[in-house]
Amino acid sequence: MWKIYIKSAFRNIIKQKFYTFINITGLSIGIACFILIGLYITDELSYDKYHEKAGRIYRVVNVYDFNGVGENSASAPFPVAFTMKEEYPGMIENVVRVFNFQAPRSLVVYKEHKFNERNFFFADSTFFEVFDHEFVEGDPETALNEINSVVITEKAARKYFGEEEPLGKILRFESALNLKVTGVIKDVPVQSHFNFDFIASMASVRNMYGGSLPRTWVWNPCWTYLVLKKKADPEKLEAAFPDFVNKFFYDAEKENISLYLQPLTDIHLKSKLDYEIEPNNSISNIYILAAIGIFMLLIAGINFMNLATATSSGRSREIGIKKVVGAYRGQIIRQFFGESILLTFFAMVLALLIVELILPAFNTFTGKEISLSVLLQPAYIAALILLVLISGIFSGFYPAVYLSSFRPVSVLKGKISKGAKSGLGRKVLVVLQFAISIALIIATFVAFDQIRYMRSADLGFNKEHVIIVPINRTAVAGQYPAFKREIENNANIISATTVDDIFGSAHNTHEFRPEGFPEDKWNFYPALVVAYDFVKTFGIKIIAGRDYNEANKTDPVKGILINEAMVRHMGWENPEASLGKKFKSLQGDERVIGVTNNFNATSLHEAAGPFVLNMKETPGAIMFFTKYLCVRYIPGNEKEVISFLASRWNEYEKERPFEYSFLGDELSKLYKDEENLGRLSVIFTFLIIFIAALGLFGLASFMAEQRTKEIGIRKVLGAGVGSIIRIISAEFIKLVIVATIIAWPISYLLMDTWLQDFAYRTSINYLFFIYAALIALAIAMMITSARAYFASQTNPVDTLKYE
Amino acid sequence: MLRTEELSKVFRTDEVETTALNKVSFEVQKGEFVAIMGPSGCGKSTLLNILGLLDNPTSGNYYFLNNEVSGHSEKQRAKLRKQNIGFVFQNFNLIDELNVFENVELPLIYLGFNASDRKERVQEVLEQVKIAHRAKHFPLQLSGGQQQRVAVARALVAKPHLILADEPTGNLDSSHGEEIMGLLDNLNQNGTTIVMVTHSVRDAEYAQRIVRLFDGEVINENIKEAVAV
Repeated sequence: MWKIYIKSAFRNIIKQKFYTFINITGLSIGIACFILIGLYITDELSYDKYHEKAGRIYRVVNVYDFNGVGENSASAPFPVAFTMKEEYPGMIENVVRVFNFQAPRSLVVYKEHKFNERNFFFADSTFFEVFDHEFVEGDPETALNEINSVVITEKAARKYFGEEEPLGKILRFESALNLKVTGVIKDVPVQSHFNFDFIASMASVRNMYGGSLPRTWVWNPCWTYLVLKKKADPEKLEAAFPDFVNKFFYDAEKENISLYLQPLTDIHLKSKLDYEIEPNNSISNIYILAAIGIFMLLIAGINFMNLATATSSGRSREIGIKKVVGAYRGQIIRQFFGESILLTFFAMVLALLIVELILPAFNTFTGKEISLSVLLQPAYIAALILLVLISGIFSGFYPAVYLSSFRPVSVLKGKISKGAKSGLGRKVLVVLQFAISIALIIATFVAFDQIRYMRSADLGFNKEHVIIVPINRTAVAGQYPAFKREIENNANIISATTVDDIFGSAHNTHEFRPEGFPEDKWNFYPALVVAYDFVKTFGIKIIAGRDYNEANKTDPVKGILINEAMVRHMGWENPEASLGKKFKSLQGDERVIGVTNNFNATSLHEAAGPFVLNMKETPGAIMFFTKYLCVRYIPGNEKEVISFLASRWNEYEKERPFEYSFLGDELSKLYKDEENLGRLSVIFTFLIIFIAALGLFGLASFMAEQRTKEIGIRKVLGAGVGSIIRIISAEFIKLVIVATIIAWPISYLLMDTWLQDFAYRTSINYLFFIYAALIALAIAMMITSARAYFASQTNPVDTLKYE
Repeated sequence: MLRTEELSKVFRTDEVETTALNKVSFEVQKGEFVAIMGPSGCGKSTLLNILGLLDNPTSGNYYFLNNEVSGHSEKQRAKLRKQNIGFVFQNFNLIDELNVFENVELPLIYLGFNASDRKERVQEVLEQVKIAHRAKHFPLQLSGGQQQRVAVARALVAKPHLILADEPTGNLDSSHGEEIMGLLDNLNQNGTTIVMVTHSVRDAEYAQRIVRLFDGEVINENIKEAVAV
């Protein structure tokens, strides 16, 4: 029986070449996008799951809350990990800390190979017990036991040693440590919340600190991971944390500190904390993409349904006859499902070809390394088969049920042959397609408007024309005053300063004790350690008091700058009133010397809050916190400035290569996810509209065919081309208008929800709704008019004779 | 074979109620060849559809093979239909996408015959109606007479007890018409019951009995002589 189903399916497909083409094209694009989105999403969802113990690994998160100001830290103080293990031996199987001196880059040297490495970390010897990494050389059990040992990836081995044997080689770290390579591992899978190339032993850090690691419970630079025992309940452990904080953290801070557990596998999509090792993606982006993928299939499936039911008149006789000779309805339904599944199968084959063709571009676009071979895994093959079955059944459902319901008597009497014209169901489906398309157009407009808004929003400082040079632990940092004087002599350079984080993207928190707070307690406030001319370099305004003044030698140790929000947070009357207030820091008694305007020290996902700008005085502190040089230059002279800075750099710093970036680019990275999503949604929206338009074209063609005789008669009676186009188009235009009315409120609600993710958001522009409707209308009109135009061009003599 | 008692069929639309059949009672014996005649719109085809279990009457009884079937569901009717009745239509009603062999094979597929039995049986009937040499052709490649022969072959293939023919020669020229009527006559000689709706006096001559319908009612039921009226 199947043989004859397939045979007649094939012949029908060939007979209806045009509609089959539309169906397969639409479906294959829909399926291809669905597969790509599926690959992307499974890749995103697979982060960190390759570790055998992934389900039991948690990261300890550290929250400092001082009346709403403070930090949500992804890292914890040094003692947390092993103290926890001692305190809760029944629940914790293993712990590991990962540490990088809070340095954005580390200089690594082997002979003439010198690189500033971003992916250099120190970790406890338990690292490879907690995380699974395949050793190519060396022993995972002992590789991190010794002082000054380091495990590197194959990539790093090639980079430094080429073809030479890496094991036993010495890498020089920050001109301070000689690290012996004790292991080489496979490169860290991309699907990791942090990618490292070097893991050196924590014993080396202990040795550097003179035999013991920092014992402070304040400084929290260690990403701390726990492996829970198999039957341990993470909630139970978390419930014990308040007692843990009480027992070990300093009295003055206890009430402001809380600890939480974060599942390892949640980090990549659900974690947006301070001091993340790498920026993470957001689960809402995944939901949005999944929705787009489903819409894509839905719209392609609707094309299928619409065209199949519309062209059903041509098949009603076949169904009637089959029923007369004894076919049950179920058999007819099965036949149609067979056909739609077969067609979907063709579309799937084509879709796989499309995926293969565009996967490289898709990878470049999304920064992924997805290989087509994943589709060959049994789970994927099963998923693809399921996809064919589901989309085949979904697209075949309406035609199958509708067509099989024909009563043989009616069919054979010819009652149904023209019945396909009205089709309320089809209209509903077209409206659905257009509603989705219009909603997506609006969503894309709003998303781009938000991205534009974030890029151009007033951050409270000027991010343009500032070059950032990492100088942590370099000779430039060591001789910064001389270096500053020297570069400021260049006519293209307006001013220079230093900071301990890239202003506008990240910051630390530091301990302060403002006037009116108890003497035994430190408060942690968002702060940057700055140098002279910070205010000038970043174009911040002083609204009360004054900036740091180089002529005033006590400024660094006695003076502090706060922003207006901090004035309000302190409950001080006004900026002027806060001048001279005590604002004690670890350096001693400092006083507020100036108040700045408010600014966004991190991304616009978060609101600008109270902030402190502070200078350090001791050489050690200055060296530690001088991480980036920031240079404001005269616009248009970037090249000269860069080559000038590079030449000065090379005179001061003999070992390290010169690196730079533009502040604007650094801040754009904060919105990478949104931009990626925006670009992807533009492409997918375009494709969705294309598929919907394709379906509309098919439907309009069918209607034009159906009405050949009517058009002929109208022409004989004197109708012009215009009036015929109007007749054919009018029906679709009405549908698009209905779709618009449905799409508007839905897309408004959706985008309003999406925008809630941002502390700073653009207002939804009502014009976008008009534009989207106009775009949909224009497309519908273009397609139906074109088709109607051709229909109107036929000679009525032919069409009437034919009839 | 079949018997109707006061069979009525009423078609209703929003505004009009049309009585297509009005209390029709008649009987067809096994092995008979009955022609139903009457002017257009008198209810011939409606009657044939009900006899063929394609439709249910509005009221009255219909006994098919001694079973009352007027209230049967579509599924029950389909079952009876495929086992017992062959249809021949005026416009042939072949499926254009299937070739001659496949068209004829269709009823056997729905009856669940296996492939080799089907092949044998189809071959046999194609030879019987003298169209075996065209087995691989598609309907549109055949003349009207040839198409109707295929349709007859399809009606025969499941060896039905009853063949219902709805103006089987209506779309054919006279020589092809004779050919088809000859075929039906031959079948009848071999024991198949035939009920045929026709306008053609000449075709009706093949029948043993003529039932005349007018405005949905049987007005005359006669053997042969009626033709001459």
